[in-house]
Amino acid sequence: MKTNYDAIIIGGGPAGATFARIAAAGGMDVLVIDKRKEIGVPVRCGEGLGMREIISQGLEMPKRCISTEIYGAKVVGPNGKEIVWKDKTTNGWVLERKMFDKWLCELAIDKGAQVKTYTRATDIIMKDGKPAGLKVTQWGERMQDVYAPLIVSAEGMEAQIARKAGFDVVHRLYDVDTCYQYEMKPYDHENLIELYFGNKMAPRGYVWIFPKADKRANVGIGIGGNLTNGDKNGMPGADPKTLMDQFIANHKQLKNSSTLVDFGGVISVGSPIGEFVKDNFMVIGTAAKQVDPIHGGGIATAMETGVMAADVALKAHKKKDFSKKMLFEYEAKWRPAMGKKMEKRLLLRKVMEKLNDDDLNHIFNCIGAKELDAVMSGKFAGPVAKVVAGRPELLKILSVLIS
Amino acid sequence: MIRIRHEGCILCAGCASVCPTGALELVGNKIEYYPEKCINCGACVKVCPAAVITLDKVGK
Repeated sequence: MKTNYDAIIIGGGPAGATFARIAAAGGMDVLVIDKRKEIGVPVRCGEGLGMREIISQGLEMPKRCISTEIYGAKVVGPNGKEIVWKDKTTNGWVLERKMFDKWLCELAIDKGAQVKTYTRATDIIMKDGKPAGLKVTQWGERMQDVYAPLIVSAEGMEAQIARKAGFDVVHRLYDVDTCYQYEMKPYDHENLIELYFGNKMAPRGYVWIFPKADKRANVGIGIGGNLTNGDKNGMPGADPKTLMDQFIANHKQLKNSSTLVDFGGVISVGSPIGEFVKDNFMVIGTAAKQVDPIHGGGIATAMETGVMAADVALKAHKKKDFSKKMLFEYEAKWRPAMGKKMEKRLLLRKVMEKLNDDDLNHIFNCIGAKELDAVMSGKFAGPVAKVVAGRPELLKILSVLIS
Repeated sequence: MIRIRHEGCILCAGCASVCPTGALELVGNKIEYYPEKCINCGACVKVCPAAVITLDKVGK
């Protein structure tokens, strides 16, 4: 590892690898460090990804990264009513994340980026009050100082270095979902992503079944982190695993299936952080809480942001000016584009958490695939009108969506 | 003061992401706990999907 680069990126996930690819292709000398021993491991993800972002970046997804193709979604209400929804935006894949993350890093390496695993940033090196590099340890022991005029945090949920740089990256319990997931087999599926809603089944969240190859599936649950549905060692807390196990015990197919992987995680379902840049520092992807508040998906956004931020970094590199003012262009572009979309999704999340199972059943009874599509693209007026026609009292809760 | 049952930990680092004081961190294949930074808020206990964190109610 050299000691001087044009940029150091912390985290080799989709955000960091994409940033590195674009920045390296544009002529910057970049280093990606990842504290994990293996890129992409452990997988902490449902592994679903729409096709749009990969296509728009001109990439061709290798077969090894795809577990199975997805042709649509099946959304199921508390009373069992199913809405099957197939359209262009639901076309996608369930990935093999391990392979996928490695592939994105390899693309960056092909463009000239350097990637180092088992390399953890422990602190920021400051010079004249501004970040100038990182203290890192390799293989758990060897310490080294690495310098660059630009530090990029693509650290994901933990974001310890962004935190040290003064960004408000700490997650509040109300704005996270705590999740548990099994990879299970056998599961016969129809290449649809399945989502199950119900306050008893998954309070302030949902159960997902994402099909994978060879009759496997990711079966997971996410529930509000501030909930107290379980007793955790004498303290009330959110307990996704118990609810997950209940769902599986009641599921015709899954109750007899085996598990191949057990894992859990915590994902942001709140707003992005208040600032993305400081002098010589950028925060991108899940570290900046750029995550969809409805489904907790972050890969596509991370990749789109990676390109956007790297384009700005390249401009800064040409001018040799990594001031906050210069880097702010990334934030100024992001908020009206992706930020606005995310705000609408957050509003929808906050409305949904006020609905009880009766309300949800009513909604599932009176909307179809067309309305679901409208809701997912942020057009609430039509579906809200349909729903309140049969249950006017819901207007009080739903009116914020149309005001 | 918290206790982590490490053998049940799935290394998701959810605890670290909600810890307001940075008292928890994923280092290598283990969650490190820095008790001097801990304010006993219990956020990590509430959010841990594997339920392996315990909060000691008495003392610090």
